[in-house]
Amino acid sequence: MSSWFRANPEAGAPAYAPDAPAWPLVALALAVALLVQSTLEPLFPIRGATISWVLLLVLWYAIRTGTGGGFVLGLIAGACEDALAGNTGAAWTFSTALVGAAAGRLARTWLADTKLALLPGVALATLLRYALFSAILAAEGRMLPLALAHFHAAAWQALLDGLVALALLALFPQLGRYGAPRR
Amino acid sequence: MVSIFTYRDERKLFAVIGTVIVAALIALVQLDAVKSGRPSAISVGVNSGALFLQSAVATIVGAAGGAAGAIAGAPRLAADNRRLNAENRALSAENDRLREALSVLPDALAIEQAAAREPSGIAATTIGYDPENQTRVITIDRGARAGIKLEDGVIDADGVVGRVIEAEPFSSKVLLVTDASSKVPAIVQRGRWWGIATGTSSRIQLQYVSQDAALRPGDVVVTGEGRSFHAGLVIGRISEVYHPEGALYQSALVEPAVGFGRLGRVLVVPR
Repeated sequence: MSSWFRANPEAGAPAYAPDAPAWPLVALALAVALLVQSTLEPLFPIRGATISWVLLLVLWYAIRTGTGGGFVLGLIAGACEDALAGNTGAAWTFSTALVGAAAGRLARTWLADTKLALLPGVALATLLRYALFSAILAAEGRMLPLALAHFHAAAWQALLDGLVALALLALFPQLGRYGAPRR
Repeated sequence: MVSIFTYRDERKLFAVIGTVIVAALIALVQLDAVKSGRPSAISVGVNSGALFLQSAVATIVGAAGGAAGAIAGAPRLAADNRRLNAENRALSAENDRLREALSVLPDALAIEQAAAREPSGIAATTIGYDPENQTRVITIDRGARAGIKLEDGVIDADGVVGRVIEAEPFSSKVLLVTDASSKVPAIVQRGRWWGIATGTSSRIQLQYVSQDAALRPGDVVVTGEGRSFHAGLVIGRISEVYHPEGALYQSALVEPAVGFGRLGRVLVVPR
């Protein structure tokens, strides 16, 4: 009888091994990302959109740790964003947590295979988070009044996030090295 | 017989259950706060912690912007300085003359002017924005401890900024009039026509204006008497008028009087 959680030892070694970054480093990065996004970035929007450093951090952490890690960091980061935004209830909390969990899960399959998947992957995560955010906000009884304008900004944010992720990986290749090698 | 759970599995199971409980607690706390209109404990905690950092960054950004502007505009500033010194001397002389004239005004007028000089407004500084830029909400560095309450109006030297939607102990959230969920009763100053000023993210739309109102670009739009503002505060100027055939109402696009791109000092006006 196999365990619910543990990989079956007879099925071979996992292709992916978690490699969680140090918590203090992640906490510091999250604090800096929140500070930048809540003070500097809104002064220089590009087509109404800003880069979501918080989401990039959550995705990076999720890819390195897996579903649970992505969910937990997404939960914390989203709660902080909701607190700073002030008018969003728990919408960022759960949209970011769910996207973190999904990224952690997908990291074990196709996303881990090629760096080129990063741009559409990050863009997709941004749009998925926006869709979840809108849905949760609607469930809380507050629709986004200018849905098209918000989607326009989200689409630009998806592009910006994807490009920044690629640029970061090109500048700091060590960010892309994680986990044990495949056996 | 092989056991289902090893010691390690149990720890993972507890971790998953614990995460689910924490997630549910966060949801309950946040949703309860939303429904009751009070800031949640999470919100108060995060904002209290972020307040000092945001204030520091806002100060540095302001100082850096000022320094860069000063360096770039040094030659122009020297010329301006000479001109302003001359104007200052002329204004000082005029001020002395006006003070002399003021001293002979009736007592009632003097009291009125004193009342105008004694504003009940609470000065505050903008220290933060919505991190994801999806809503037009700013954070200011004064909160309930300074006497700010929900629905208080917020203005600056140019006109209406928004209204307080969250008052935490040391900071407050202000919904800008440009946010799509903001609605302010408004009057077109020239004809006293009523409407509702709603945000469009970057500008303001004046809606539900009677079809017989002769709106014109350039008309000044001010607040009507409402929950957050007294009547007569400037919202902006009409830039375009939409007069659809057969519609019950007409609408107009309003350029806000306030420069929302660089909000600095604001004044919270308690009702």
